Amino acid sequence: MSPMLLTAYVLVWPIIASGVLLTLCTCLVIDIKEAKRTDTSLV
Amino acid sequence: MFQFSTTGALLILLGFYGITFFLTLRIGKKQENADGYMVSNSSVGFSMSAASMTATWIWAASFYAAASSGYKYGLSGAIHYGFWGALMILFIYPFGRRFRKLAPNAHTLAEIMHARHGNSSQMILAGSNVIGSVISLMVNFTAAGALVDILSPLSFAQGVMIAGVGVLSYTFWSGFRSSVFTDFGQLVAMVLAAVIIIPLIFFKLGGPELFVQGMGNLTPEQASFYSPTAILEQGAPFFVAVLAYAIGNQTIAQRLFAVREDLIKPSFITATIGYGSIVIGLGMLGLLALLAGVQPIDGDMNNLIPQMAATYLSPVMVVLLFIMIIGSLSSTADSDLSALSAIVMTDVYGKHISKNKPNPKIMLWVGRMTMVVATTLGVIFASLKLDILSMLIFVGALWGAIVFPVIASLYWNRVTNSAFTSAVAIAFLLFVVARFELIAIQGSVALFFEVIAALGGAVVIGLMVFGFFGYRAGLVAGAIVACVMLYFSIDFLRDYIVLLSSLTAYGASAIVCTAVTLRSKQPSFNFAAIDRRVVEFHTEDQ
Repeated sequence: MSPMLLTAYVLVWPIIASGVLLTLCTCLVIDIKEAKRTDTSLV
Repeated sequence: MFQFSTTGALLILLGFYGITFFLTLRIGKKQENADGYMVSNSSVGFSMSAASMTATWIWAASFYAAASSGYKYGLSGAIHYGFWGALMILFIYPFGRRFRKLAPNAHTLAEIMHARHGNSSQMILAGSNVIGSVISLMVNFTAAGALVDILSPLSFAQGVMIAGVGVLSYTFWSGFRSSVFTDFGQLVAMVLAAVIIIPLIFFKLGGPELFVQGMGNLTPEQASFYSPTAILEQGAPFFVAVLAYAIGNQTIAQRLFAVREDLIKPSFITATIGYGSIVIGLGMLGLLALLAGVQPIDGDMNNLIPQMAATYLSPVMVVLLFIMIIGSLSSTADSDLSALSAIVMTDVYGKHISKNKPNPKIMLWVGRMTMVVATTLGVIFASLKLDILSMLIFVGALWGAIVFPVIASLYWNRVTNSAFTSAVAIAFLLFVVARFELIAIQGSVALFFEVIAALGGAVVIGLMVFGFFGYRAGLVAGAIVACVMLYFSIDFLRDYIVLLSSLTAYGASAIVCTAVTLRSKQPSFNFAAIDRRVVEFHTEDQ
């Protein structure tokens, strides 16, 4: 396997993890707004 | 190798636990209620649930073991740790939805088993969870001690003590709610550290050129993605073990009961991807170490990640790694404390001492005192550096033996308490015989275990397919896997005792549970009774 493909194999995981983090942070903002609107606790 | 000063290490630890503690003050209530203390409001949103599932499933050992796997097995090593662990989060959610449907107000899986079968099955689950969670606490505190010992002048015991007191301080008052709330921040720290550290170390070691220079350090098996050794020694036993952990472990069940019911699926899918990417990514550090020809200090694989960070990263980045590992072990330790308190509150005080009529205030303090006792035990056991391998094997085996009986009990209305209990007891006994080779595993004895293990493999795959596609698909998949496994297992699995014994637990429990159930003349169970028997403990005014 070429070094470039192996490089992608190593670096793809932090990229996916960043995507998950971005999704969770975006949804947290939505959840906080919703909790404030309905006057409920996040947890 | 880089080390913090005593003041620096103390500042980081006190800063981490101090900030976490002050965060929990935002959600603390003067009057917490017992149900909230165990499962929050049972309608936790997507972001908190998914983050909490991910953070809980990742413990300190996940990093160390994934890196060890990458170092030992090469290209496929990290996958054979992280991928299977991640997949288990995914496979548990169809069953989780069933648990929630049957008992919307449940706090523990043992409580559901009590409603389904009675005391013995409940106590098997509760007892195994108490032991499992105390062991997990001890492992996480041990990891804190080891990290502090390597990266600072502070001693191992001091690291253990700081982690124990730190985790207890922010979990004590609000219980599970604190655990879930702080998991988000801890996960953010973990992801940020992983996202920055992995590429940094990769490029410090030479980037793509590392593969050109370093491939010579790999054996042909390590250089292959399809290494049979990696599959048989790491992937398959881990795949089998984590299914047992997913079903048996109260920390997972607790989150199933806490998340809003319609968000179970997206939360668990996101947690699957999150766990997989973080753990496999950090496992790549082991592969990079192998390619670069790094030797772990004292030959201890657990030193690989701290060693790589301390050698190749700047002090700021080492701080980030330090926080990442402290965050991962703390998020799992606070989940263990919450799990233990829920079990003692519900399954000991609620069901047995107060006979389903608990005083909510006393119940709450039972939970808090459980946390104090559990932390003390975790700190003492960690400080004594006990050999936990045997205990961990027993708990894993017990959970492996309960997977089929638990799932069958909640789908098949003919399963009886005696079928459940005898299945677990016999499967556990056979596991112990095979795992510790109490009888020589050769000749007809080996054949006997290989046949049961082959059926165990069929049970694992059959249950997974059943969870997603239903009874018929599960049965067909199980039958196909049984045929394939029988063909390949005979005269082969006896050389892989760990895998043989783990699969034996699944196979034996399924065979005994099914046989005893089919022989039973008892009337069929009405599943609606579970919801009636599993009740909320707090009153409306609380």
